[in-house]
Amino acid sequence: MNHQIGDVILDLKNVSLAFGGVKALTDISFDVREHEIRAIIGPNGAGKSSMLNVINGVYRPQQGEIILRGEHFARMNPYKAAKAGISRTFQNIALFKGMNVIDNMMTGRNLKIRSNLIQQAFWWGPARREELAHRAKVEEVIDFLEIQHIRKTPVGRLPYGLQKRVDLGRALAMEPSILLLDEPMAGMNVEEKQDMCRFILDINDQFGTTIVLIEHDMAVVMDISDRVVVLDYGKKIGDGNPDEVRASPEVISAYLGVSH
Amino acid sequence: MGFFLETLIGGLMAGMLYSLVALGFVLIYKASGVFNFAQGSMVLFAALAMARFAEWLPHWLGLDSLWLANTIAFVIAGALMFVVAWLIERLVLRYLVNQEGATLLMATLGIAYVLEGIGTSLFGNNIYSIDVGMPKEPVFILDGLFEGGLLINKEDFIAALIAALLVGLLALFFQKTTTGRALRAVADDHQAAQSIGIPLNRIWVIIWFVAGLVALVAGVIWGSKLGVQFSLVTVALRGLPVVILGGLTSIPGAIIGGLIIGVGEKLSEVYLGPMIGGGIEIWFAYQLALVFLLFRPQGLFGEKIIDRV
Amino acid sequence: MLYRENGQFKTTYAADQQIFPIAQDRWTILGILLIAFIAIPLLVDEYLFRAILIPFLILSLAAIGVNILVGYCGQITLGAGAFMAVGAYAAYNFHIRIEGLPLLVSILLGGLTSALVGIVFGIPSLRVRGLYLAVATLAAQFFTDWVFLRIPWFTDNSSSGSVSVSNLQVMGWQIDNPVSKYLFCLIFLTIFALLAKNMTRCAIGRQWMAIRDMDVAAEVIGIRPLFAKLSAFAVSSFFVGTAGALWGFIHLASWEPAAFSVDRSFQLLFMVIIGGLGTIMGSLFGAAFIVVLPIVLNQFLPALGGVFGIKISTAGVSHAELIIFGGLIVFFLIKEPHGIARLWSTGKEKLRLWPFPH
Repeated sequence: MNHQIGDVILDLKNVSLAFGGVKALTDISFDVREHEIRAIIGPNGAGKSSMLNVINGVYRPQQGEIILRGEHFARMNPYKAAKAGISRTFQNIALFKGMNVIDNMMTGRNLKIRSNLIQQAFWWGPARREELAHRAKVEEVIDFLEIQHIRKTPVGRLPYGLQKRVDLGRALAMEPSILLLDEPMAGMNVEEKQDMCRFILDINDQFGTTIVLIEHDMAVVMDISDRVVVLDYGKKIGDGNPDEVRASPEVISAYLGVSH
Repeated sequence: MGFFLETLIGGLMAGMLYSLVALGFVLIYKASGVFNFAQGSMVLFAALAMARFAEWLPHWLGLDSLWLANTIAFVIAGALMFVVAWLIERLVLRYLVNQEGATLLMATLGIAYVLEGIGTSLFGNNIYSIDVGMPKEPVFILDGLFEGGLLINKEDFIAALIAALLVGLLALFFQKTTTGRALRAVADDHQAAQSIGIPLNRIWVIIWFVAGLVALVAGVIWGSKLGVQFSLVTVALRGLPVVILGGLTSIPGAIIGGLIIGVGEKLSEVYLGPMIGGGIEIWFAYQLALVFLLFRPQGLFGEKIIDRV
Repeated sequence: MLYRENGQFKTTYAADQQIFPIAQDRWTILGILLIAFIAIPLLVDEYLFRAILIPFLILSLAAIGVNILVGYCGQITLGAGAFMAVGAYAAYNFHIRIEGLPLLVSILLGGLTSALVGIVFGIPSLRVRGLYLAVATLAAQFFTDWVFLRIPWFTDNSSSGSVSVSNLQVMGWQIDNPVSKYLFCLIFLTIFALLAKNMTRCAIGRQWMAIRDMDVAAEVIGIRPLFAKLSAFAVSSFFVGTAGALWGFIHLASWEPAAFSVDRSFQLLFMVIIGGLGTIMGSLFGAAFIVVLPIVLNQFLPALGGVFGIKISTAGVSHAELIIFGGLIVFFLIKEPHGIARLWSTGKEKLRLWPFPH
C-alpha cells in the first residue's frame, strides 16, 4: 500500500509553554501532514519532549492553539487526544510494570471496549466475545513487531530494547492515525536501531500512520523523515526537508556551536 | 469574646502537642521516606519508661529529690529511645531500603505492635502519672482588657514553651551542625548523599533517635497532664491530619498544621458540637485536612510534585 | 511429575484466556471446592466453624475488596473498616425498616450503599495519592465511627448502641447453626471471588492496573483516571460492605461500631500485604494467616511457657501476642515483600520444571 503525503492534519499555532518562570516553549508553530514522517530535533533541553506533551495534552500550553483535522483546541487533554486517534511512546518507557506484554498491549484497546463492568464481572457474552476479538487484534500487532516469544512475560523482566518495542506495540494497538514517538531509538545498539527504523517505516507504509518523532541520531532522522523541525532553547530555528535543514546556518550553529 | 479567646488559646495549646507528634512524623519521613505509624507507640513507650523509672528510682537508690529522679529517668528513657532507634535501623530499615511506601508503612505498624507489646510487658499497662512539678493552678491574665479576664492553665503555658524551645533547638541542630547538614542532604536525595560518603545507616539511627526524643518530650508533657496509659498510642492518629495539612516534608508545616488543627478542633467542638451531637473532635480534624487536600494536594508547605514523562 | 502442562496445546484464544489454563490447576480447584462444600461441613466441629472458618471466609471476602483497591488499583486505604461498618449498618436498616425484604437483598443493598459511600470518599484520590490518600481514607473511618455511635437513627434508637438481628433465613433455609452459616458465607465468597477474578482479567482490571503502574501513560492511551479510580473504589467498597453485612448478620448477630474500628482496617490491609498485593488468591492466604495466627499463639504460648516452667498470665500472653504478631509482620515484609501468593507461584514454577531446575 502506498500512502501519498496529504493535507495538513495537525497544525500547531504560536504555542508557548512555561513552568513557573521557566519558558519551555516560545511561540512555536509548525504543521504535520497526513501520512508523513515528521521529525523534531534539537539539543538537550530544547523543548522537544514538551512539544509532544503539548500535542497530546499532558502539558497545557499558556498560549497558542492546536488544530487537529480542522478542529480547534486551546488545550488538549490526554483522553481527548487518544479519542482523536493520537497515540504515543515515551522517552523513559512508561510501560505498566505489573502486567505482561499481552495485557500491556490490551490496554491500548481500551477505548474500543464497549462492554460494561457488570458484563465483565460475569464474563458475559459480549464482554467475552469482545475480549477475544481484541486479543486477536493484539496478536496481529505482536506478529508485526516480532515479539511472539515474550507475549506472556511480565514487562519488567524484559531487556531495554524489547521494552521499547512493547511500548511501541501498545501505542500501535490503539490503531492510531497519528503516532508520536519520543526518542524511539535512545539507548539502543545498532541492530536494535535498524529493527526500530524498519518498524517505523513499515508502520508509515502499511497503515498510513502519520508519525511525529523525536530523535537524536541524525543519520536516522535524515534518512527516514520527510520533514524536520529544529528546536533550540524552546524556539523554532529551522523547518523543512532534511536537506534544507542540514544546510541551514542557524541549525549548524546550534548543533556545532559555531559563532557568527 | 473572653470565652472565644479562651477556647482559641486552649486550642493553640493542644495544637502545640499535635505539632510535636507531627514533628516526629515529618523528621522520619524526610530522612527515610518512611511514614512512621509507630510514632504513637514511641510516645507511649517513652512516656511509660519515664513514668516508671521516675517511680522506681527513689526506691532503688534511696533518692529523695524528685527533680533528680526525674532527670535520671528522663536520661534513661532517652537512652532507651536510642536503643529503640538503633534496633529499628539494624533489624528492619536496612532490609527494607527501596521498598514501596505501603510496605514501609506496614512495617512501621508491625514495629508499633512490637513496641507496644514490649513497653507494656516491661512497664505494665495501668495508668501511671508523671510528676515533673508543673504548676497546676490556673491563672487569670488580661483582666484589664476583658471583664473577668482570661483563664489559662499555667501548665499548658509551660508545655507550649517547652515545645517551642524544642522546635528551636531542632532548627539549630539542622542548620548549624555537620550532622544536621548531612541529615538535610539525606532528606533531599538518598543516593546522592550516599555517593558523597554520608553513612545512610548512621543517619537513620540519628533521625529515629531524634524522633524518639521528640516522642519522649511529647509523652512527658502529655503524661504529666493526663497520665500515662495505653491510649497514648492514639495520639499518632491525632497527629496524622496535622502532617497532611502541613505537608509531609515540612517542619514549619507540622507546627502550623498542629496549631490550625488544635484550634479548629476546639472551636468546632465548642461551637459546632452541640448542634450535631458532640464528640466530633477526631473526625473534624480529618475532614478539615481532607477538604484542604482537595485544594492543595501537597499540603500547606509540602513540595509540589510535577509529573515528568 | 504430575504437574505438567506438556501436551496441553491451546488452539483458541478462549482456551488461552481461561482463569486456570493448566488442567491440573482446574482439578485442584475443583477438589478444594468439593472439600469446602461437602467434606468440611461433615467433619469439622462447631468451635472451628465459629472461631476460624466463618471469620476466615468473611474476612477473605473483605480482603479481596481491599486488594482490588490497594493491590490492583494502587490506592492505599486505611479505611476499609469504615466500609464494612457502612455495609453492616445499611443492611441492618434495610432489614428492619422494609418489611419482608429478603435477607439476600438486604445484604446486597448494604454492599451497594457501601459502594456509593466508597465513591464519595474516593473523590480525594483524584487529587492526592500515596500516603496522603491513605490518611485521607482515615477520614472515612473516623467519620463513620462517629456517625454510628452518635446518630441514633442508624441504630434504630437502641439504648445500648448495639444492634442485633435474629431469625435469618434465605428462601426457607434457616441460617441458625454454624454449618449453615459457614455454607452461606462460602457461597458468597465463591461467587464474589469469581466475579473479582473476571473483572481483574478484563478491560476494567487492566484499567485499574494501568492507573496503578503509571497513571500518566494510562491517561495517554485513553483511560480516564476518574472512572478507573472511582470504579475501583466502588467495586472495592461493594465487596468490603457486603463482607461487613455478613460479619454483622452472620458472624456476630449483634454488634457495636467498635466491631469495625480502625484496627479492623489495619488488619485488612495486613491481609492483602502479607497475602500478596494484586492477587485474588493472596487475599485468601492473607486472611487465613491473620485469622489463624492469634488463635495459634493463644494456644501455643501458655503451653510453651509450661514446658519451661513459666506460668504466663493472660495479660502476658496478649503482650507476647502483640510482639510476635508485629515481629512476624516485619519478618514477612523483609523476607517476602510480595506476599504468600508469590511463594505459592514460585513453588508452582519450580514444580513445573521439577526435577530439572532449568
